[in-house]
Amino acid sequence: MFRAGYLARKAGQLALTLFAVVTFNFVLFRVLPGDPLQLIARSGHLPPEAVARLRALFGLDRPLLVQFWYYLRNLSHAQFGFSFTYRRPVSSILAERMTNTIILLGAATVFIVLLGVGLGVFAAARRGSRADSGTVVTALVFWSLPTFWTGMILVFLLGVWLHAFPISGITTPGAVYSSWFDQTGDVVSHIFLPTVTLALVDIGQFILITRSSLVDVLTEDFILTAKAKGLSRRNVVWRHGVRNALLPVITASALYISLVVGGAIQVETVFSWPGIGRLIYDAVLRRDYPILEACFLIFAVTVILANLASDLLYQVLDPRVREA
Amino acid sequence: MRARTVAALLMVALLVLTGCTRSAKSGSTSLRVGWSSEPDTMNPLTTYSTEAQEVLQLVYDKLTEYDSSLKPEPGLATSFEYSSDGLSITYDLRDGVKWHDGQPFTSADVKFTFDLIHDQNLSEYGQWLTDMTSVDTPDASTVVVNFSKPQAFNPGLSIPILPEHIWSGKSAEDIQKFANDQPVGTGPYTFVQWKQGESLTIKRNDSWWGPEPAATQVIFVLYGNEDVMAQALKAGEVDVLTEVPPTIWDGLSGVDNVAAVSIPSFSFHHIGFNMSTDPKSQGNPLILDRTVRQALAYALDRNQLVQLALAGHGQPGSVLLPPAFGKWQLKIPADQQMNANPDQANQMLDAAGYTDTNGDGVREAPDGSPLEFRLIAIESTTVDVRAAELFRNAAAKVGIKLDLQTMDENTLGKTVYNTTDWDIFVWGWDSGVADPDYMLGIVLCSQIGGNNDIYYCNKHYDQLYDQQATTVDEAARMNIVHLMQQDFYDSAGYIVMWYQDKLQAYRTDTWTGWVQTPGGMVFNFTRDNYLNVTPVAA
Repeated sequence: MFRAGYLARKAGQLALTLFAVVTFNFVLFRVLPGDPLQLIARSGHLPPEAVARLRALFGLDRPLLVQFWYYLRNLSHAQFGFSFTYRRPVSSILAERMTNTIILLGAATVFIVLLGVGLGVFAAARRGSRADSGTVVTALVFWSLPTFWTGMILVFLLGVWLHAFPISGITTPGAVYSSWFDQTGDVVSHIFLPTVTLALVDIGQFILITRSSLVDVLTEDFILTAKAKGLSRRNVVWRHGVRNALLPVITASALYISLVVGGAIQVETVFSWPGIGRLIYDAVLRRDYPILEACFLIFAVTVILANLASDLLYQVLDPRVREA
Repeated sequence: MRARTVAALLMVALLVLTGCTRSAKSGSTSLRVGWSSEPDTMNPLTTYSTEAQEVLQLVYDKLTEYDSSLKPEPGLATSFEYSSDGLSITYDLRDGVKWHDGQPFTSADVKFTFDLIHDQNLSEYGQWLTDMTSVDTPDASTVVVNFSKPQAFNPGLSIPILPEHIWSGKSAEDIQKFANDQPVGTGPYTFVQWKQGESLTIKRNDSWWGPEPAATQVIFVLYGNEDVMAQALKAGEVDVLTEVPPTIWDGLSGVDNVAAVSIPSFSFHHIGFNMSTDPKSQGNPLILDRTVRQALAYALDRNQLVQLALAGHGQPGSVLLPPAFGKWQLKIPADQQMNANPDQANQMLDAAGYTDTNGDGVREAPDGSPLEFRLIAIESTTVDVRAAELFRNAAAKVGIKLDLQTMDENTLGKTVYNTTDWDIFVWGWDSGVADPDYMLGIVLCSQIGGNNDIYYCNKHYDQLYDQQATTVDEAARMNIVHLMQQDFYDSAGYIVMWYQDKLQAYRTDTWTGWVQTPGGMVFNFTRDNYLNVTPVAA
């Protein structure tokens, strides 16, 4: 289906982009003002020997180029270095946070994309009707809701006032579970509010993109032909319409998935969800370069891969791209 | 129809599941503590966070502890005694104490810990052992620590005792990298689990030497932000909050079953002046004139600062030591303070020859250079920014122009400590110990390049510092400590703006017996509140 030349070109671009990202990543955090050890050293009467030892531990006493060389060498062994804050390998910190983020945003993404596309198709198929304008207006309203505010409102209504859901964390602290079922239940009840928040604020764009794209497609001649052939309405919309309207939706989904890995800083903050977004936020405040570099690198790699995937999917879905 | 059935089933399932979690909730014997920042590491020799210290003080014992009124009480040592020359301290250790892993605790562990910190120059604890010469262990339950100078501060109050069988053989570099994921101590609680980014759990050590605490476990829960933390307290997810910002504290007072308390703290916020006399200093030399600094001190109204910047959650500032130090703090009568007296400021500046010669509202020095200074503050610390604005207005009223610029804390730190290219800043200090030594030590000549953030250097002050650090007699030492505070106050190197209160909150329907220790119920130098609270009878 794909030509070898095309794939090789793509792979080359990929490698080049990655190297640029790695370099930029390294330089970016070192031109930021502020010294990661500054605040540590101020916090107490730390002996100069102890400060010097800290600098040596993180390689901060070496010239920038040497630091860069060590950074590259570590990366080639899949080592992201040592966290300034936690003073343990970054990879061990990342793994756990990443899992938590993927659980939260994975659930939300599937939900949002499926429901968003469904509602978009629903509206487009009824263009001009009350159901259509109702859906569009609702989508616009939800899209303009601020994430943080929506989260706090849900916390207040469902968490504090109705006491229906826990408002923070991923499990009940200190809980002892009698069964696997109990534990899953605990996680589900904790994941409910953050997922709903994400769904509320992010579903609008998928509805609108799907709708506008499908509305265009439904005016095309081949749709008229399909109708004239006597195909059922469902068949016309889904098989002939949606399939052709999916391209922009795929781009939007690819972008959204890269956000999944970057974490949803606001939702994670409101609901104290121990994910990547919160980790990045704290790391910025603490000038924890190794954590930031690792996060941004993973973030960049995901964007690059998601784009590649959507490029390849285009090839499958749209014969015109294949020819070009 | 089918879709609706599925939805209904989902809702039922969800309700069942949430029902299960309710029952899975931990019993009332857990003490749940909410905070908005988590520990850095469980290694007591490399941690820099209050959160880690809070956990570790329950896992590790010290030789001597602070009780809930911050008086020394026996820890691993049942008693201690100074030699007549003050050069050595003898600690009598408890018998039969075991480490959490079952190994016996002996005087060798104490010697090991003190030697390790002293020889390798590790951690902040090193400051208490700089004059240590040797540690003797005449027998398994006696430790004698010898010093080259008498020690006013008993280091047993500060240093956690580590197990030799776990820490021995580690170099300073090893220790730097040692995460200590499963800390083993002798303390009232044993470490269970730290889920990073989420919570940390410790459970009661049933073979601890002291009276058994009521809480079978203590769980520290991390919240992403303080608003949600406050909501969690209201919802009953936690029992006590370590620190609450003023606006949220106001919202918590008056809530059912919640008590919001305001306690004098060991901290202050201050205005610092660049007093570097280095000829290469890039600071404005006019600030080196004490008259100018004192005039600024007079111009500023501390009561107004507390009301407007701090919403009343603190006390007006004066000397270096905050009120939680009790009688160690020098009380300067209100009419002798440099405070809220712009007339006095104007008179002083007039008399010193600073007059507005060109009529632009800003005074000029006799050589024509204007009294105009750069003022920097941390943008995310809103109280500081507000205070800086009020300070700028107050200074303008006496003909001194301040140009305010805000930046993040890291940048401000780098500017202040690594350059002399600044004039005035707004920042703060917390005392790392319940002893005056730490705060008095900030502005020593020897701390230039260390903690000294204003490059202040006064040999007389330094002499007094050395004297108080070696005066074991409390009354005599207190005299010197008071002298030092007066000395530094007169120099106007700092304008201490306020001593902010420690704002905390707890649920009144779960645990009772909280003592409002100066410095805080929790997040303080005592762990006794954790050990002494009892469940509210149902």
